[in-house]
Amino acid sequence: MIEVEALSRQYGSRLAVNEVSFRVEPGEIVGFLGPNGAGKTTTLRMLTGYLAPTSGDIRIDGIDAVTDSIRARERLGYMPEGVPLYREMRVFEYLRHRGALKRVPNLTAAVDRALELAGVEDVRTRIVGQLSKGYRQRVGLAEALIADPPILILDEPTSGLDPNQVRQFRELVRSFGGKKTVLLSTHILSEVEAVCDRVIIIREGKKVADLRPGDAEISLEEVFAELTTSGVTEDAS
Amino acid sequence: MKGAWVVLKRELGSFFVSPLAYVVLTSWLVWNGVVFWVLTEFYARNAVSSGAATPLSGFFGGSVLFFIPLLVFVPVLTMRLIAGEKQSGTIEALLTAPVSEASVIFGKYGASLVIWCVLWLPTLIYAWIMSQHGSVDWGATASSYFGIFCLGAYFMAVGLLMSVLAPTQIIAAVLAFVALGVLFTVGIGEFVLDGTAREVCAYLSMWGHMQSFAKGVVDTRYLVFDFSVAVLAVGLSIGALKARRHG
Repeated sequence: MIEVEALSRQYGSRLAVNEVSFRVEPGEIVGFLGPNGAGKTTTLRMLTGYLAPTSGDIRIDGIDAVTDSIRARERLGYMPEGVPLYREMRVFEYLRHRGALKRVPNLTAAVDRALELAGVEDVRTRIVGQLSKGYRQRVGLAEALIADPPILILDEPTSGLDPNQVRQFRELVRSFGGKKTVLLSTHILSEVEAVCDRVIIIREGKKVADLRPGDAEISLEEVFAELTTSGVTEDAS
Repeated sequence: MKGAWVVLKRELGSFFVSPLAYVVLTSWLVWNGVVFWVLTEFYARNAVSSGAATPLSGFFGGSVLFFIPLLVFVPVLTMRLIAGEKQSGTIEALLTAPVSEASVIFGKYGASLVIWCVLWLPTLIYAWIMSQHGSVDWGATASSYFGIFCLGAYFMAVGLLMSVLAPTQIIAAVLAFVALGVLFTVGIGEFVLDGTAREVCAYLSMWGHMQSFAKGVVDTRYLVFDFSVAVLAVGLSIGALKARRHG
C-alpha cells in the first residue's frame, strides 16, 4: 500500500509538486497520468527515496519512507524513467548484482524467475549495452521484479517498446492485479484504460483528478484534455 | 555493510572490463619503466655521489617523476566513481536500492584502493631486478610500499569526494587534479619558506612523506595526516551524497 499525504517538492523557487495526496490500495494498479513536466517523475522519485520531499508524508506499507527510507525501499521495485542500466554487464550479471544489493535469498532462482517474467531469457548472456531499447526496457522490468517486491513503481515503462512488446507488457502488469500494488506513470491514455483500476491525473504539480477509467461518462481522453488544458486546478475527485 | 561489498565487486568488475583500465595500466607501466631505467642509469654512473640513495629509494618519491603521473592518473581513476553513475543515470537505480549512502561510498572507496594496489603491484618486479644485481633493503622497500598505500588512501579519498561533488566525469577529474596539485605545491613550500610556514608545509608535503618512507622511516605524523584526510574526504563524500536527495 502507498499512502501519500500533502506531498510537496520545491526546486529552488519552482514548486514541482504541490500538496499531492493519494492512496494506492494493496493489489491495486493505478495509473499516474499527466502531461510532460507535470511532476510525475518527481513524485515517483520521492516515493522511491531518490529525492527527499520538501514537505509531506509518504508511507510504504505503513513504513515512513522519509525517516525509514531503507526499510521502505526494501518493499519497492522501481523502474526509473529511461531505464538506466550498467551497460558493460551481461544481463544475468546485472540482475545478480541488483539482487545481491537487494539482499535477495537464493539469487540464482530469483534471477531465472525475473528473466522469465520479463521475457528476457533469450538474452541472459548478452551485454546490456548491445541490446535494443525494447530489451533494455524489459531488463529494467526484470530488475524491478528481482526481489519479488509487493509494490512496483514504474516510470513510463512502455516508452520505446514496439506494439507487440507493449501488449505483452500490459498483460504482465495486468497479471499482477490483486497480487502486487502497482503505480505506473504514463502519458499514454490507452495504456491506463488497458491496465489500470484507477487513474490519478496531475497537472502543474497538483492533483486534478482521481477516478476509475470506466466511471467517467465521457472518455478518458476527453477528461484528460479538459483537465490538463483548461484552467481547472481544483481536485476533481 | 554487505551492500558495500556488492558495490565494490561491481565497481572492480566494470573497471577491469573497460578499455580505460588497460590504457591506464599500460601507460602507467611504460612511464614507471622509463623512470626506473633513467634512475638506475643515473645511479650507475654516479655511484659515489649518490651516497646512501639507491635506484629504489629514488624511484619511491625521490624525484618529481614519481608525483607527476600520480596527479594525472589518480583523477582519471576516481572521476568515474560517482560522477560516472550520475552521467549514465544509474545513480538513480543505485540510490533507490535498499543500501545506505555510507555503503555506496565505502564500496566505491574500497574499489579505488584495490585499483591503486593493482597499479603498484607490477612495480615489485623492479625490486626483484635490483635484488638480482645487488643488495636490496627489503625493510625500506616494504615501508616504501606502505607509504604508497597510505598516500593512495588519501589521494583516492580526495578523488572520490570530487567525483561526488562534480556533475560530470571531466569536471570530477579536473577538480581532483586541482586539489591534488594544490596539496603537491604546498609541499614544495618546505624548500622555499622559513619558520612555522616551513614546518606546516613539511607536514603536508608529499615529498617529505615519500622520502621518509623510502628510507625505511615510518613517520607517524604522515600517517596521521593521510588517515585524517582520508577519513574527512570519505565522510564528506557520504554527507554530500545524502545532501543530494535534497538538492
